[in-house]
Amino acid sequence: MSGKEETVELLRNSLCKRCHEENATHSIRSEQVCHKCFSQYVTTKAVKRMETYRIRGSSAKPPRKLLLPLSFGPSSASLLHILDQHIQGQYDRMNRAAYELFVVHIDLYVDPVDRKDSSELLEKYKIRFPRHTYSSFGLEDALLLDGIEWKSLHIGQPNESDGKPTTERLQHLLGSILSATSRSDIASTLLTRLLVDVAKRNSCEGILFGDSTTRLAEKTLTETAKGRGFSLPWQVSDGDAPYGLGFNYPLRDLLKKEIVIFSSLATHTLAEIIIYQRTSSTVSASSKLTTIDDLMTQYFESVEENYPSIVANVVRTSSKLQPTSILDTTACGLCGLPVAEGTDGINGWGGDQNSDSRPEIKDGHYGVLCYGCSRSING
Amino acid sequence: MAPALCAICRTSRALIIRPKNHQKLCKSCFIAIFEAEIHHTITTTSLFSPGDRIAIGASGGKDSTVLASVLKTLNERYNYGLELVLLSIDEGIKGYRDDSLETVKRNAVQYDMPLKIVGYDELYGWTMDQVVEAIGKKGNCTYCGVFRRQALDRGAKMLGINHVVTGHNADDVAETILMNLLRGDLPRLARSTSIVTGDANSEVRRSKPLKYAYEKEIVLYAHHKKLDYFTTECLYSPEAFRGSARSLIKNLERVRPSAILDVVRSGEDMAKLVPEVVSGVSHCKSQKVSLSSADGEDEGAGGCGSVNGRNSGGEMADMEKKLRQDEEASSREVDISASIPLSANSQKHDRIGESKPPQKMGKKLVRQTLGTCKKCGYMSSQDICKACTLLEGLNRNRPKIEIEVDVEDEESSTLRRRMEGIALGAG
Ligand SMILES: [Zn+2]
Ligand SMILES: [Zn+2]
Ligand SMILES: [Zn+2]
Ligand SMILES: [Zn+2]
Repeated sequence: MSGKEETVELLRNSLCKRCHEENATHSIRSEQVCHKCFSQYVTTKAVKRMETYRIRGSSAKPPRKLLLPLSFGPSSASLLHILDQHIQGQYDRMNRAAYELFVVHIDLYVDPVDRKDSSELLEKYKIRFPRHTYSSFGLEDALLLDGIEWKSLHIGQPNESDGKPTTERLQHLLGSILSATSRSDIASTLLTRLLVDVAKRNSCEGILFGDSTTRLAEKTLTETAKGRGFSLPWQVSDGDAPYGLGFNYPLRDLLKKEIVIFSSLATHTLAEIIIYQRTSSTVSASSKLTTIDDLMTQYFESVEENYPSIVANVVRTSSKLQPTSILDTTACGLCGLPVAEGTDGINGWGGDQNSDSRPEIKDGHYGVLCYGCSRSING
Repeated sequence: MAPALCAICRTSRALIIRPKNHQKLCKSCFIAIFEAEIHHTITTTSLFSPGDRIAIGASGGKDSTVLASVLKTLNERYNYGLELVLLSIDEGIKGYRDDSLETVKRNAVQYDMPLKIVGYDELYGWTMDQVVEAIGKKGNCTYCGVFRRQALDRGAKMLGINHVVTGHNADDVAETILMNLLRGDLPRLARSTSIVTGDANSEVRRSKPLKYAYEKEIVLYAHHKKLDYFTTECLYSPEAFRGSARSLIKNLERVRPSAILDVVRSGEDMAKLVPEVVSGVSHCKSQKVSLSSADGEDEGAGGCGSVNGRNSGGEMADMEKKLRQDEEASSREVDISASIPLSANSQKHDRIGESKPPQKMGKKLVRQTLGTCKKCGYMSSQDICKACTLLEGLNRNRPKIEIEVDVEDEESSTLRRRMEGIALGAG
């Protein structure tokens, strides 16, 4: 190869492998691409997962309403951005859209300062993406839900409330759980139940979660480690959740790092309205505050770095698990997922061997709880 | 402050914090509950019947030593009516097994159990040292691993015993579940959770009575019962997926002690959700009996000598490479539209083509059928099992000087003769 050819080769190397026009600035797995092509790759992957929500036929059906939970993190913000463009595209071509978004933010913190910050931030989203309807709730609103066995959580029924504000009762509830893992497990269960309730009340036919492949892989192992293996088919696969509405994960074919890069591309001007979490690699395994979720986040952060396809393969694998038939099941009093006859609670299976080793049950019967919820509540 | 009292008897001083649930117990209550739980596992799964002859896979390590000790205790206490035999494998690596085999010999005396040590030379006609000599240091791991997996079963067959119990504990089972999730192996995930592998049709069943026992409690039990075991220093680091799963399990246990048990429970539940095409297990049949682990690496927790060593990380890198190739291949099939600008692309979708692209299924979902090896009769998913295939290669290349007789026939006929001899002598 002559010197001249070598120079040409070098130049070509720094050009985008897809369009061959712009300079390569990012990489998709091992392919070097420009920011435009990278952005398009991410968008295409997400929109492909929205196939079910394309415009069908010419009859002017009302758009289907879908709930999009917005946490202000890079994933849900990117998803909102992508779908906003998708809907815009449908309008541009057909003068109507196949679906509309109901964007819901749920505050996990009860601190008034946090609440104020988050409502200000939500206003920015409304200005930025004005087409959609918005609503926000506090996690304490979950305490008003029907269909949860509040007694199992050792707190009174919502209607028996002692006049204390729900935020205080939520703090009391979560504060009474000693293990960090159980606390975050119960909080995220309440969050899901609240989202489902809000979706149903607002006649949404499904929820669009912003989980990336990496997040779904974390979830696969986290739920397994929390004794919730039975629930995986409803937690990682697209489709009908047992709650009577669909769960979909349009970003399921994208890595977390790809979404983070996408969200920070200057052209999208998203970064200023996104709250980036601290990196988990500082989490120490010995800390009392460390949760199983933290461990898995940390673990998959490192696997994603070197073995992204293995991350995707974990999700592909757990998505093959088939939900059990809902016949002969009872809904868990906390998470609401179907529990097969005789498989509730942490007692009475092969691994529970001796009544002497059980902690004493504090009071009467709580109704049916699944293994995972029972573990988080009882020990 | 007064010393804490044992949570069970409430009379003795609590000296032990149970790793499983952090209950504070006295020494004798801990020993009693540890034994009671294994008794519970054995009875609720109907693991044994009176008169059974059981071979205990004994390595001299803590797990199998505790298993032997507990089984002897329970057999006497509850009149199981079992005939217990210690079965050890000698790979034939000079010096490597000396200490552990000495331990097993002492255990045989301590527990008053017959001991059978079977060597690779006896089983396969080759010691590991001879294998290394023939094929060099590189690649002999494969041989040792494959031979080892069958050795206990073949050894049991020699003794006319059709049930081998191994010391796999809850940590091992949990580790295997996470490992199979990480490497995307649903068939093995489905199989690895059952307490018994192999059914009435298989010649040798395998079971793990310590399936729900925490490794830390096994160590505590061995310590407080002053059991004589050999602390094996593993020569080889586990392969990447298992190593990865192992450290996850350790961290999980630190964060939430019940996590090991919870992973095992999840694994059992998930096994029921694995589609039948994948697992080859019919859910109609009894759940606890599933296919054998005949050619399964799920027994990899065997520790030393299973020699899956290789260079750490290589296994993950290999899999990553393979998965990427698959991805590229499938993206070439489906992703033709990817280079079309987005708006045009979705427009196209909106107008035409109601049908979704066909799901990429089938490739990975191959039903695994387990038959038996045509050569040795051992359970295998292939016509000829891995061990026989490897042996064939070894024997073909065996230096002529060493064997004067017909090379091809020598090994397989010895093997067959031995098998026949065993079958007769077993009675
Ligand atoms: Zn480009
Ligand atoms: Zn539940
Ligand atoms: Zn006691
Ligand atoms: Zn064979």
